[in-house]
Amino acid sequence: MSILEYNGAAIIGMAGKDCVGIASDNRLGIQYQTVAMDFKKIFKMNDRLFVGLAGLATDVQTLDQLLRFRMSLYELREEREMTPRVFTNLLSNMLYEKRFGPYFCEPIIAGLDEKGAPHLATMDLIGAQALAKDFVVAGTCEGNLYGMCETLWKPDMDKEVLFETLAQALLASVDRDALSGWGGVVHIITKEGVISRELKGRQD
Amino acid sequence: MGDSAYSFSLTTFSRTGKLLQIEYALNAVANGRTALGIAATDGVVIATDKKFGSSLVDASQVRKVEKITDGSGFVYAGVGPDYRVLVRKARKTAQAYFREYRETMPVGQLVKSTASVMQEYTQSGGVRPFGVSLLVAGMDGDGVPRLFQVDPSGAYFGWKATAIGKGYVNANNFLEKRYQEDMELEDAIHTALLTLREGFEGEMNGHNIEVGVVSKNDGKFRLLTPEQIQDYLDEAN
Amino acid sequence: MSELTNPAIGADPNAPSGGFSFDNVHRNALLLQRQFPSPHSSDPNASANANSGDRSILPLATKTGTTIVGVVYKDGIVLGADTRSTNDTTVADKNCEKIHYIAPNIYCCGAGTAADTEKTTELISSQMELLRLNTGDGQSRVVTACTLLKRMLFRYQGYVSAALVLGGCDLDGPHLYQIYPHGSTGKLPFTTMGSGSLAAMAIFESDYRDDMDEVDALRLVQRAILAGIFNDLGSGSNVDTCVIRVDGTVTMGRNEIRPNEVGPLRDMVRRSDVLNMREGTTAVLRSSFVGRSGVGVSMADVTVTAMET
Repeated sequence: MSILEYNGAAIIGMAGKDCVGIASDNRLGIQYQTVAMDFKKIFKMNDRLFVGLAGLATDVQTLDQLLRFRMSLYELREEREMTPRVFTNLLSNMLYEKRFGPYFCEPIIAGLDEKGAPHLATMDLIGAQALAKDFVVAGTCEGNLYGMCETLWKPDMDKEVLFETLAQALLASVDRDALSGWGGVVHIITKEGVISRELKGRQD
Repeated sequence: MGDSAYSFSLTTFSRTGKLLQIEYALNAVANGRTALGIAATDGVVIATDKKFGSSLVDASQVRKVEKITDGSGFVYAGVGPDYRVLVRKARKTAQAYFREYRETMPVGQLVKSTASVMQEYTQSGGVRPFGVSLLVAGMDGDGVPRLFQVDPSGAYFGWKATAIGKGYVNANNFLEKRYQEDMELEDAIHTALLTLREGFEGEMNGHNIEVGVVSKNDGKFRLLTPEQIQDYLDEAN
Repeated sequence: MSELTNPAIGADPNAPSGGFSFDNVHRNALLLQRQFPSPHSSDPNASANANSGDRSILPLATKTGTTIVGVVYKDGIVLGADTRSTNDTTVADKNCEKIHYIAPNIYCCGAGTAADTEKTTELISSQMELLRLNTGDGQSRVVTACTLLKRMLFRYQGYVSAALVLGGCDLDGPHLYQIYPHGSTGKLPFTTMGSGSLAAMAIFESDYRDDMDEVDALRLVQRAILAGIFNDLGSGSNVDTCVIRVDGTVTMGRNEIRPNEVGPLRDMVRRSDVLNMREGTTAVLRSSFVGRSGVGVSMADVTVTAMET
């Protein structure tokens, strides 16, 4: 078992029309033993930018702290919000700095850029970026997530359809993965604000 | 350099509360060749006089206006070698910024970081302050023209137009009279050359002055060629 | 060097420190050394499978897989690349960019670990720009880029796994280099790298001619990349090309050929109406909305009271 699969996770980022969504499951396990069903894997960086971290739980939390530190410093120094593009590059460089002793974490970045257009990105554990127009996935059921998203995603979804699509893609994927599940959470980022919903899912 | 633990800063307060070394540095600036800058509505111009003690100097080998990032540049008045240290440091900082964020370093950040370098040299052991004032001209992605001055103390100011170096008082008076809020870049270049001519000994030509501009058209900082400068001078005549 | 090095003056605290950090290496070694006891391994029937079935606990980084090629022609250089990146056998990115910018007249194709090729070329491109600024020389030399790259790769003894095809034109004409992850280099009239290099080289070896014109060179590069796309599993999707001419012009042919366009195929699929998600499909436990802070708030919305003095 890869160390990336030690705690279990499933995260999706998905683009809609003038909105973008990010969803994760709630499970924290130690291999096959479930430890918590309310583990936070998606972190709000600012009003229009969320990051999901899949991987080793200790690194998930460490990276969140480091990212918030670097974001706050940037925003104080430059007196402006960090754009998703700049954030992606920052995170990528933070991961690559530890190229030879990496954080065991694969991030998903979902946000709206200055023009209000969706920005989706993912990277591997040493910061190789992949930008996407449609969706990005990470976690212990990556294959399932890819399959669901390839099937359900269509262009220009509004925020409600985006929510349902994300939720169904996530729930169906985690139901075929022992390491993730226990319900999920979805955040839909729009120009007006953020809709957050907790999903009901299987508890096994 | 000596053992830094025992070599304390030259810049120590006098009993009247002044930092004399900084004031001396400002004297070095005031003795330097004049440099000036004007922020127009659609761009910024910085210019300096490039006259030398001897006519035998090859002026084409001397650079005073320097590009730092794609959208910004420096000019100075004061001690040339000190300036080049700051230019090198600024370029390096700007490249590090770009590598980290993949975005050109904003002019404001460039000014802050350069100013903090200059400040450190007023409070550290075994060093002296920089004998230069800088003018920083540039434009960020937002297309707003920006002009800053950075002094040896590390203090920095934003300007619509300003002059530093020899005859800066007269030049500033001249700029105050000529500056207009709705000035466009072309007017600003002419005004810059006129202001420079006020304190210039002898005939100005494309080779004894240097001009750097950043225009809203492409947001890129560039040096004017001697031919371009000559064209502007000819237009003014 | 002109940078003053005074021990009393620290580096700019805001500037990134640069270089790799080895903070986590010891921790990771301990983590990976320890075999996580699987609950199934206590079952004697499963134990036979424990080793062969369990994959290495060391996670895999994204690779570019890759077919990259370069060729010298009469008036310049043509570079080519596929656009697939893979994580193990999963396609991580169907349309990534493998032709990296080094300088206005120099580009570099990268194969190997995706992060390494990306970051190495970014770093060298930054060093090249600094060099241009500080020397006042308008144009970078290809050999300079090659030297900076090979020095960096040699320093890391192959652990930075980037296999590169570097091409560009300078005042000495067109130059094409190949650079191996350990830092060895070769200057060649045509070259291929990556997992698809054999397929691509088959095309080059049969059809390369000295002093080709641009059309022929471009066509040859496209065919070589297509050979990689179709015959090598690590390569796929589209053909990217880049033509760098001696006269200083550059043409980036991003996705010049798209032999694997899925759009029309997908559009042909008549999706069941069941797949169109309707509102209320998902059971929701809790829902909240947080408005964007600062949006629509002006001084008019604020009651101003004089401060008591």
